Amino acid sequence: MQAMKIKTFLSILMAKMTKSLIRMLGRGGTDFPGRVAMKLDHKVLAQCAKGVKCIVVTGTNGKTTSSRMIEQTLKDLGASFFCNKSGANLITGITAEFISNSTLTGRCKCDYALIECDEAAFKEVSTMIDARAIVVTNIFRDQLDRYGEVTHTLNSIKIGISHSPKATLCLNADDSMVASIADDFKNKVVYFGVNVPIYKKRVQEVSDAPFCIKCKHEYVYDYVTYGHLGGYRCPNCGYHRPTPDVAVVKVLQSDAVKSVVDLTVDGTPYRATINLPGGYNIYNACGTVAVGRALKLDMTAVIRSLSEFAPGFGRMEKLVIDGTPIRMILVKNPAGCNQVLNFVTNVTEPSVFVVCLNDRDADGTDVSWIWDVDFEKIADMGGQLKGLFLSGVRADDMALRFKYAGIPEDKMQVIKDYETLMKTCAAQKCPVYIMPTYTAMMDLRNKITKMYDVKNFWE
Amino acid sequence: MNQTLRICHLYPDILNLYGDRGNVLCLKRRMEWRHLPVEISKVGVGEPLKADDYDLFFVGGGQDFDQEVLLPDLFSGKDQELKAAIEDGKPVLAICGGYQMLGAYYKTWDGKQIDFIGALDYYTKGVKTRMIGNYVFTFDDRPGVNVIGFENHSGKTYLGAGVRPMGTVLKGYGNNGEDHTEGVRYKNVFGTYSHGCLLPKNPAVADAILSAALERKMGNGTLNPLPDHFETRAHDEMEKRLLG
Repeated sequence: MQAMKIKTFLSILMAKMTKSLIRMLGRGGTDFPGRVAMKLDHKVLAQCAKGVKCIVVTGTNGKTTSSRMIEQTLKDLGASFFCNKSGANLITGITAEFISNSTLTGRCKCDYALIECDEAAFKEVSTMIDARAIVVTNIFRDQLDRYGEVTHTLNSIKIGISHSPKATLCLNADDSMVASIADDFKNKVVYFGVNVPIYKKRVQEVSDAPFCIKCKHEYVYDYVTYGHLGGYRCPNCGYHRPTPDVAVVKVLQSDAVKSVVDLTVDGTPYRATINLPGGYNIYNACGTVAVGRALKLDMTAVIRSLSEFAPGFGRMEKLVIDGTPIRMILVKNPAGCNQVLNFVTNVTEPSVFVVCLNDRDADGTDVSWIWDVDFEKIADMGGQLKGLFLSGVRADDMALRFKYAGIPEDKMQVIKDYETLMKTCAAQKCPVYIMPTYTAMMDLRNKITKMYDVKNFWE
Repeated sequence: MNQTLRICHLYPDILNLYGDRGNVLCLKRRMEWRHLPVEISKVGVGEPLKADDYDLFFVGGGQDFDQEVLLPDLFSGKDQELKAAIEDGKPVLAICGGYQMLGAYYKTWDGKQIDFIGALDYYTKGVKTRMIGNYVFTFDDRPGVNVIGFENHSGKTYLGAGVRPMGTVLKGYGNNGEDHTEGVRYKNVFGTYSHGCLLPKNPAVADAILSAALERKMGNGTLNPLPDHFETRAHDEMEKRLLG
């Protein structure tokens, strides 16, 4: 018993020392201290998480943005909490975050922890924390080279939930796979959803869940918001979209800056302004409101916070270089990328687009997903498309994809060198939208801070 | 005679994983760029398939969950139509799950046997570890040409005596990671594990399939060359990475 404690103490001590050292060296490694700690004590997270009420955000897309929205809410309410940031959503990063918010004896200094958690990591993390609210944003095909199938992702999430009997589940009612989770558990459930279509014109996309999760019959949809999300029902077994407790009933405005929606929480109407463009962010806002309801937070305050938060790491971040407005939007899988295209191709001013495609482990080593994205929509922009630059390790694959999408070869340019790329972007006379995969985004950030006098536009 | 090349995209509603629909787009564009008439028809679950209506078939890969939906539909008549088309010399391109489906059966790692249509002489055995990664193999129909792609499968396919492989694996796993074969060739069937997707980056394969289809339909499979600069760059970049 004593030996266990010493092991835990050493683990925490080493993690804290590693973190200081990394900081002194000016590096930003977010999960390395966690890796060190777990080497010394595999279960150190369990000690540090004792007595901390955890809010977990998981699912394929929207984890980071939802977490930032919930963070804003907790901040505005003056709650004592911490969160894992900067995409540190694997067990090592989460462990590091808990340790840095704990004393050397492993006592956490906060009441709440807000944890963005990768679906696969959730299985293990959930055995060591006390989850009180779990948001499942959606389930889409993601880097299948790593996870296999979407039903596999669903099962990972279910295993995590099975370790979390005290948690209220905040489930996306519009996602047939996510909504079905409720049937397997006795946990309290808050459903959130959008009762009406969001987009006037949508990209063409493949449904990731055309068949009933219960009986494998094809679903019928009364409407689709995007992807496989919407008002589904199974004509064979009767499984259908549950009535959401948090429901968007009307989309009043959804433009390049923000969305304004009418929503109801248990029937009480509210009007919410969501300070982030893109229809898919309406879902992230709904998930946040669902957490507010699960934790019985002041609803008016929760909704006010939605209008006040700043975009997270690579999610619609905006910077201005030499007078050119540049937005950086992370893309990582077909569904997410299609939603980004829904947004960027609906902007009304002429724009330049950049796609940076890498195929390192964190990006997914299989780039074939680009053929499932409706890049034809960019070709359809005609004169609105002022230029198209392709970069990253697999820039040539991206150029070929656009050739097949119908973009004339002379309208696109492969620029693999990031310095040249950024200079070219900064010289544009119109807005530039950069869509990088994960590691491309990290490399671009480093390059941008080295090249330009922009203040750290991320934390 | 109708000169339009009629392409059937089989099960686009289920077998649509890993960007395989890009293959159909590639076939279509390479016809259009040559000013040759082409049309694509989608035939999904519950829709009847009449092989006589088409000159070329494409079938992709999918998820296991969805494939359980597919098999009863396949055996309610589509299997016979496909077999007839294959014996009739019509080109078929089958990828991954679609490739396995044309064989005799799939035996899961725990011994359960799932019967497939048995149009071609091979079978597949499931194993627990997936074979994943970029890979390269020879394209024996066009000596000197290498095919690059991305494989991601947990099934090991073993070819019988009645068929030959599409080529030899130079880097990666291929059919089973043991005998260095990749894919299958039989009459005008091209089966492979290659995603990527396959055809855009391997225009020689795309043209071989189109040429076979036109030869059969019109008696002349000669195709004008296309300027494949983008295709070649994407192909060569990966070939260089894999073979050095």
